[in-house]
Amino acid sequence: MSVEQPIEHTGEPLLKLNNVSKFFGGLAAVQNLDLEVKPREIISVIGPNGAGKTTVFNLITGIYSPTSGNIVLAGRSLAGLSPDKVLRRGIARTFQNIRLFNNMTVLENVLVGEHTQLKANVLGSLFHTPNVMHEEAEARQRAVELLSFFGTELVERQEEYVINLSYAQRRRVEVARALGSIPKLLLLDEPTAGMNEAETLEAVKYVRRLRDELGLTILLIEHKLAVTMGMSDRIYVLDYGRKIAEGLPEEVRRDEKVIAAYLGKPTAADQKAAE
Amino acid sequence: MNFTLLIQELVIGITTGAIYALIALGYTMVYGIIELINFAHGDIFMIGTFICITVFDQFGLTASSAPRGFSLIGLLLLTLLISMLICAVLGVVIERVAYRPLRNAPRLAPLISAIGVSLILEDVGKLWKGITIVSFPQVFPQITYYIGPVSFSSVDILVLVVAVILMVGLQWMVSYTRTGRAMRAVAQDREAAALMGVNVNRIIAITFFIGAALAGAAALIWGLKYGNTNFTLGFTLGLFAFTAAVLGGIGNLVGAMLGGVLIGVIEALAALIPDSSATGGFGLPHGGAAWHEAIIFVVLILILVFRPSGLLGQQTPEKV
Amino acid sequence: MPTASMLLPTRDSRALLIKWIVGLLVPVMVFTFVWSGEAIINNVLLGLINPGSTALQGPVLIEAAIFIVVFYATVIALTGYLVAADSGRRRTIDLWIDIVVFTLVPLFLVINFGLVVGAALCAIIWPAYFFVRRRVRQARHYTPPPPLKNLEVSDAEQRAILMSRATTAGFWFAFAFAVVWLIVDLIYFFVGQLPTVLLIWVVIRTILLPIAGYFLGRLGGAVALRRTLAAKSNGSKSDGNVATNGVGRRVSKKRQLESLSTTRAREEAKDLVPNDLPLRSTGAQRFYLILIVAFVLFYPVLDPFLFGSGTAGRLAGYGDAGYYVILALGLNIVVGFAGLLDLGYVAFFAIGSYAWGIIGSTQLTNVLGQAPVNPHILSALFWPMLIVGALIAAFWGVLLGAPTLRLRGDYLAIVTLGFGEIVPIVFLELDKYSNGPNGIVGVQSPSFPGVDWSVITPVPYYYLILALIAFTIFANVRLRDSRLGRAWIAIREDEIAAASSGVNLVNTKLFAFGAGAFFSGIAGAYHAAKLGGVSPDNFSFGDSVIFLAMVVIGGIGSIPGVIVGALAVYAINQLLLAQLDSLATDPSNPLYAVHNAIVHFIPGFTFDNIRNLIFGIILVVIMIFRPEGLIPSARRRREFHAIEEDHEIEVGALDVVPGAPGFETEVRVE
Repeated sequence: MSVEQPIEHTGEPLLKLNNVSKFFGGLAAVQNLDLEVKPREIISVIGPNGAGKTTVFNLITGIYSPTSGNIVLAGRSLAGLSPDKVLRRGIARTFQNIRLFNNMTVLENVLVGEHTQLKANVLGSLFHTPNVMHEEAEARQRAVELLSFFGTELVERQEEYVINLSYAQRRRVEVARALGSIPKLLLLDEPTAGMNEAETLEAVKYVRRLRDELGLTILLIEHKLAVTMGMSDRIYVLDYGRKIAEGLPEEVRRDEKVIAAYLGKPTAADQKAAE
Repeated sequence: MNFTLLIQELVIGITTGAIYALIALGYTMVYGIIELINFAHGDIFMIGTFICITVFDQFGLTASSAPRGFSLIGLLLLTLLISMLICAVLGVVIERVAYRPLRNAPRLAPLISAIGVSLILEDVGKLWKGITIVSFPQVFPQITYYIGPVSFSSVDILVLVVAVILMVGLQWMVSYTRTGRAMRAVAQDREAAALMGVNVNRIIAITFFIGAALAGAAALIWGLKYGNTNFTLGFTLGLFAFTAAVLGGIGNLVGAMLGGVLIGVIEALAALIPDSSATGGFGLPHGGAAWHEAIIFVVLILILVFRPSGLLGQQTPEKV
Repeated sequence: MPTASMLLPTRDSRALLIKWIVGLLVPVMVFTFVWSGEAIINNVLLGLINPGSTALQGPVLIEAAIFIVVFYATVIALTGYLVAADSGRRRTIDLWIDIVVFTLVPLFLVINFGLVVGAALCAIIWPAYFFVRRRVRQARHYTPPPPLKNLEVSDAEQRAILMSRATTAGFWFAFAFAVVWLIVDLIYFFVGQLPTVLLIWVVIRTILLPIAGYFLGRLGGAVALRRTLAAKSNGSKSDGNVATNGVGRRVSKKRQLESLSTTRAREEAKDLVPNDLPLRSTGAQRFYLILIVAFVLFYPVLDPFLFGSGTAGRLAGYGDAGYYVILALGLNIVVGFAGLLDLGYVAFFAIGSYAWGIIGSTQLTNVLGQAPVNPHILSALFWPMLIVGALIAAFWGVLLGAPTLRLRGDYLAIVTLGFGEIVPIVFLELDKYSNGPNGIVGVQSPSFPGVDWSVITPVPYYYLILALIAFTIFANVRLRDSRLGRAWIAIREDEIAAASSGVNLVNTKLFAFGAGAFFSGIAGAYHAAKLGGVSPDNFSFGDSVIFLAMVVIGGIGSIPGVIVGALAVYAINQLLLAQLDSLATDPSNPLYAVHNAIVHFIPGFTFDNIRNLIFGIILVVIMIFRPEGLIPSARRRREFHAIEEDHEIEVGALDVVPGAPGFETEVRVE
């Protein structure tokens, strides 16, 4: 499986958010966010519930457009692009509440993920031209390979309707589907949500493999602090839509503001301001 | 532009619009509470007109032999109550039989079921009163009044009085009674309301009850004003009323009232569009009146495309 | 040449043979001796021997002959297949009862009441039978064996056994049939009903049939073999039955099938041999398809034998039913594949009708204001206009679909309903083009060298619509299984996930509207030509509802489903009620009394009058009890019953179950 190598060596960021804000009416979901992701990094965005993390993903993938600021991928702006166009630029994502096509099989879900990699048009599909048939066969082959990234389990169950799979398996299918479009950047929204410890460890492992083996750049949202520590190159912390900290895992872990945001205790600065 | 004609059409529009508003309230309440377009609602209105005719027959009321004064008011009130009650019960029965089993089904299912109910009611109407236009005894004395060159009728006043009283009553009920509060709660968040101890099934039934009752009332005043009805009436007026509900903002009661009046006015003004074959180009072939249905649909489509939340509705919150 | 010992059944297969041969022989005999099989054959032969002595001559004779050969050959091969495919786990009695209910009962009903009323009665009896059977099974605590449990990869020896079973079955079935036939014909001969000249045929047949049976049984066996799980990779799926990953580990098809959930396994089990329910297996379905196609294709020839006089009227009616089928298939693309609830489909039908109506008649001169065009040229234009009219309709499909793109399900329905109302009004009022309320008359029929398209003989229209239907089915199947078809399912399931996977919502939806409208354009052109005219009151919201009912009743998204739905709705709409009314005027019929009783209370009552009432009730009942339709696609059946699904689903903590309120979110995808 081939992956376009992004601009690795120049240190240019793959994804850059410049002063991005999103207001819903009067509510500031995201405010003045600067964020950058370099190629082959694993970056985590963490923060308490309601901090605006998923909104950031939705802004990047074009489900919302920013009220101000802009988002740039490999030097090109993503402004005004619809989600399918963002995908074509090379950003794929998973969702916090797994959004699979429930009444399709595992294999079919991944095939939809490969939608943009296929060129079949209507006439070709109608008349089963050799090109189209060849393309379909290759797509299936690729889909099975993608599933095999997670071991043989999903390959065995490729003809099963996804709704019959276990939660952890469904997560993996969703990732496989995202991989189908051969993205440069993968957005994972709470990949370990609802998982027990063993499953969480598995998830962390495959996230690392996604970067190490497939060369992907990964931006992930994670609610659990501990998980991100072992996995991320850098961490951004959001609270109430604002970035309150960023840096290496160790730095972030000891940051007062971060601790306060998660535990709800006022920091020294807050107490002073209150007096 | 003939100013008198304009005002005249406005008057017509407002009175018709009041009737549309009453019907629209049924649509908007039901949609607000279970997100279903009750296709059958317009047909309940139609059944209501037939009920009123039957009641009049029983009492021997005709346009010429109707009593006057208080006995007339009394009889009309009785008819109103009967019509409202029977329609209300019909509405509740329909909900129980055709919609409640489908409450958790994919959206397609209750919609098709509603269409099915509409078909059933239309045929019931057809079997009951036949396919031709049925005359409705206009027992309310028709006295024409004038303000300047503009005329309106005593019936128009009756229409407005009844409609306004009912609308005000509804608004009061929804805003100030416990049941009304429960209705608003269920419309906002059904699960939360259930958790608060609201009997959701009962509230939904009440919503249908009230909506259908209003349609029953609309049936009486429509008949008194226009003097005729037909088994297909519910379909046409139902669509107009639904457009009104959407125009005002679906789920919003005041919006439905406003929308109803606006649709009535638009329909009336459409009649002013000249016949293009007469004017030699400007206007529509056969004049605006022939196109009024199409015009209202265009209005509906324009609203849904450009401002689906309607005039008074809020933009629905976005959640991914 | 097969030796005698090869043909003798082994002890194991003896029971199996009896089970199937007896079971299948009975319906075949009914068809041959009771209904008309024998009559057709004898007429064909007499026609061959003494040309002109029977009603059959020329091409019609040949068609009848072909049908007979195909019919019997298919049935014998089917026997071979069934015996080979049967896993033997089902009891003989169960099978025989099923055969009685599904072949003998319909035959009996159709023979006595005609195709339409007979089919309607079947539609009532079969669900009742299912219901009763389920109750009986519950009472006896019977559970069907789990599917695929005894899944075995068949080796060479097992395959040989399978094949020998098939050939034996074919041989003995044909032999038994030949013997019975011989006896019956001898009786006929001695009673004087059989012309002497045909005795030679009787002898030839008795010898040939068993031989043919052997080879046809082989054919059936071959079909069964293709559906077994082979040790090597020559499975029935096009992608091979082996799945690999990059490291070279192989996951066999068998392993894949073993890891399926029960419901999914049941779906796959239909494809495989050995099969618990071979009558319903996909292999058997191939044979059924051949029988159906042969029946439909040669129907004009068969009808006089099957149903007596009145062929022309029936054929004309079926020609009309045909365009219903095309409309249902077209709407199925929009509603079934893409999940866009279109309540105004009649608009595109109108556009297609008027397209040919205007161009194919004198109206063209009214519009263009030129000298009248030679009607023959107009007729020849029909064929290109089929495509052009369809394209025009498709264009409008896209145009009218565009405003609905961002709307949610119910709003989309209303807007399409609005268009469905507006378009006929437009045609009504734009007199200059459409001749207003009077409609257009004198629309030309198509022209085809050597074929007479006049009203007197409906046969050309019948074959035309068959060809159009065949094309439509072909296109639908191809579309459904293509990249586009997957995209449609995806947007139907979850628009946001689909868009985030790269599906362009706008294009995909517009394509659905366009494709759906395309086929309604074809149906429209055919309709205008056949009717010879177009009028605005042909098109109303009621029609849109009927088209939707066809799709919903038949099975949303299922191609065979909507075909059956279209035929059922057409039958109810046009034929059944009228027939009930005519039955009700016959004093000797019990319906007469019923009718009179009702009229006493409801003066306006006729069966025809309560058409909408019946449809309304059917729609409500179907939505509540069987929303996936009569012949559902497996996928849709799952969708509608997923909420009630059992232990199989493990829903994660953060998942919202599909269909529950709150699953569908309202996001404007900009």
